Amino acid sequence: MTDLQTPAEQAEATAALPETEASGPAATAAAAARSARPAGGQPVRLGLMGWLRWAWRQLTSMRTALILLFLLALASVPGSVLPQEGIDPAAVTQYYTAHPALAPLLNRLSLFDVFAAPWFAAIYLLLFTSLAGCVLPRTFRLVGSARQQPPRAPRNLARLPLTARFSTSLPPDEALAAAGRLLAGRRFRLRTGDGWVSAEKGYLREVGNLLFHIALLALLGSVALGGLFGYKANRLLVAGQTFVNQPTDLDVFHPGRLVGPGDLQPFAISLRSFTAKYITSGPEISDPASFSALLRYSSAGGTPSQPYNLQVNHPLRVDGVRVYLIGHGYAPVFKVTDGKGTVVFNGPVPFIPVSTNTMLSDGVIKVPDADPAQLGFAGVFVPTAVDIDGRVESAWPAALSPRVSLVPYAGNLGMNSGTPQSVYSLDTAGLHKLKVQPRALAPGQSLQLPDGYGRITFTGYRQWISLAITYDPGQVPALLSACTALAGLILSFLVRRRRLFVRATEGPNGTIVDLGGLARSDAAGGYETEFAELASQLCADQRGTAGEPAADQQGVPPAAADQAEPVSSDHDEALVEDEAE
Amino acid sequence: MQVNTGLANFSYAMVITALVLYALAMLAYACDFAFGKARLLATEPAAEPAAVKELVGVGASAAPAASPAAPVVNGAAEPPPAGRWPSGFWLRTAFGLTCSALGVQLIAILTRGLAEHRVPWGNMYEFICAITCMAVIVLVLISVKFRAYYIGLFVLLPVVLGLALDVTAVYTLAGPVAPALQSYWIAIHVTAMIIATGLFIVGAVVSVMYLVADRCQRRLAAGLPSKVEGIMAHLPSALVLDRLSYRTILFAFPVWTFGIMAGAIWADQAWGRYWGWDPKETWSFITWVVYAGFLHARATAGWRGRKAAWIQLAGFGCLMFNLIGVNLWITGLHSYAGLT
Repeated sequence: MTDLQTPAEQAEATAALPETEASGPAATAAAAARSARPAGGQPVRLGLMGWLRWAWRQLTSMRTALILLFLLALASVPGSVLPQEGIDPAAVTQYYTAHPALAPLLNRLSLFDVFAAPWFAAIYLLLFTSLAGCVLPRTFRLVGSARQQPPRAPRNLARLPLTARFSTSLPPDEALAAAGRLLAGRRFRLRTGDGWVSAEKGYLREVGNLLFHIALLALLGSVALGGLFGYKANRLLVAGQTFVNQPTDLDVFHPGRLVGPGDLQPFAISLRSFTAKYITSGPEISDPASFSALLRYSSAGGTPSQPYNLQVNHPLRVDGVRVYLIGHGYAPVFKVTDGKGTVVFNGPVPFIPVSTNTMLSDGVIKVPDADPAQLGFAGVFVPTAVDIDGRVESAWPAALSPRVSLVPYAGNLGMNSGTPQSVYSLDTAGLHKLKVQPRALAPGQSLQLPDGYGRITFTGYRQWISLAITYDPGQVPALLSACTALAGLILSFLVRRRRLFVRATEGPNGTIVDLGGLARSDAAGGYETEFAELASQLCADQRGTAGEPAADQQGVPPAAADQAEPVSSDHDEALVEDEAE
Repeated sequence: MQVNTGLANFSYAMVITALVLYALAMLAYACDFAFGKARLLATEPAAEPAAVKELVGVGASAAPAASPAAPVVNGAAEPPPAGRWPSGFWLRTAFGLTCSALGVQLIAILTRGLAEHRVPWGNMYEFICAITCMAVIVLVLISVKFRAYYIGLFVLLPVVLGLALDVTAVYTLAGPVAPALQSYWIAIHVTAMIIATGLFIVGAVVSVMYLVADRCQRRLAAGLPSKVEGIMAHLPSALVLDRLSYRTILFAFPVWTFGIMAGAIWADQAWGRYWGWDPKETWSFITWVVYAGFLHARATAGWRGRKAAWIQLAGFGCLMFNLIGVNLWITGLHSYAGLT
């Protein structure tokens, strides 16, 4: 990322390698002072464009990106600590009850929906803008540098971080040509000049780096794609029932912003049977061991229905949509005969499990068509009934001895008042409780209601499953983006960009070959080994071609390189870049 | 399938054995520091890169005199200590104990898996056992590859503490896992997370060593006394520690990234979405972001060195919170710790 720089500094930075991110508060302040006060030393007011450019440079600086990155991490924390609307709305309601004073305040700060909060979006949008503002110029720069030649060799190689020196009997130009051949064979990019060879390698590092950052932008785009064109839905399905994937036939429907009711794929699914197995021993006793739902489904194209065994981790894929098994429970079946002897209700009623370990479940039966008054029942279903101090409890999640206990009500269910009601709760405002002897009904047993209201029979039970239906067109792009990001990351970590310079000069006892090496952003180290290996190879090659005994080549004392004169004040590309880092 | 209780008990006994051996290895490493000869002398002044660059490096000392065919090479790297394998009685004992303890722990993990008929990382006990094992594998590999035997004591410290807590406070009897965990993705996602976590542990330990060494070097350079000077005589310079830690993270970060991706694919199969801000997901994201910040800080002037090291330790803190805090205090879809 570029930092705040004067045009001259920018030019330097452009010539430098991408990792030369001069930054830091002091550097920024100094640069700001310079850019606000050009050559004459006279303070100049920045125009609107100047301010905009300043703001853009600030935004795309590495320091800002780092701060935004940490802000993003920090902003995610409340999303994991506080209950979230998008994950567990019931927990949010609970939080409201537990902290009535604090909750509205937190809600105003969007702390119950952090990941959809405007301030969260602001952070990641700024971060991604900063990213784009950094990545795009760097891409152009990479394309440019791929066409440019490596820089000229510095005058004095001894000032480079890695140096080597040997002597050879080859004349300087032949020594350089041999070095060039070896380096070209190692896939270095070469540039030659009078008495020197300059070689550079490792452009793939920047390619990987850019690939990683661009893929992150693509990942964000994929997530947005899913949010716009995807949808999520839930459906509770009792064994024996069928539903069609249409908004009217779904219990919960969360369409993406650009999804209409007609955009759903109208496949049909029916539940044949459901089996849950439970662990029968050990510390996890009564925890579920496996779930299996036998479905039949027919795709929207009107194909004949096919069977599918739906399990956790094995979603059903139909018409590009995936259907998941996310819950299960019991639906006791009731038959209600009213005071006039008419069967006014006969069917399964899904009860909601209160405890997943015992599958003790709550439910409500509403009979609006009963005469002389509407009837309502609040019920508790236990799959394996045991008597604990006169109370009916459940001992096991599977239905070994199912029982239902009911509290009957009569009066007005309030279903015509216009306000929508939950099918799982009873509005007792217009109802009065009927006095009955409390008892648990076994399948086939009935409860006779007093005062000629009729009777209710618990005829048996069925199982239900709840399904999550999701369609996300951003899924495949997201996976591709993530894989690209990973590949780019690995590439940028494996490859290092490095330079090697060779100078050959005529000495008293033959040609002296000087080598200088410079690795860019080589913070993990490692170029030393390659440099040393290349140096020995070059040395061996040139002595080999000369065919002379090595003992004759002791012209240069080993310490010579260390005692090199300080470099002259020439412009020295490689060193300037080194210092810019 | 029924759990093989006998085999599970054997596995537990093996973990205890490994723990004892690790503790003994630690003791031997400490003895090496106390009685062994200081092989690596931190002679450089405070880690000013320009100064370090001038020092003599790779193979320079030995090569020219012995064989005139080699060129004189000067570079930034410190010469690695001569041998690939540990030298000296205490160090050899320590390394041998570490390797045998590792072998015993691997047997423990294998038998636990065989007893349960599944991949043995389905709850917190098994996960901690696996990450400590991975940290030791990383320790052994780094020790040999970089001749960095000096990190042994410091890496074994968290390993022994973690494993001791694991077998006492966190221990969970062998058993089957919930239907959501019955997928081959557990072998991919959790294994990647274990490898990355093992690497992150070693990275963090070396980073702490770097901070201490750097402080010691700066104090000595300023003419101030340092309490850790004695131990520092056995350690390489701060620069070398910094690089070693960085290399570990360079390896760990892509593995962690892959682990998150594999987790997302699995989440998509099990829960119907690839990302849902479940607390565990959120904290793995936070960890990823902080380590990404560390990598960027390393490439930014003014942030590298101590500041970057602190960022890395912050990332490690997030990682540990995800392991301990999220498992124990926050409920979510990843509540598989098996603790009540």
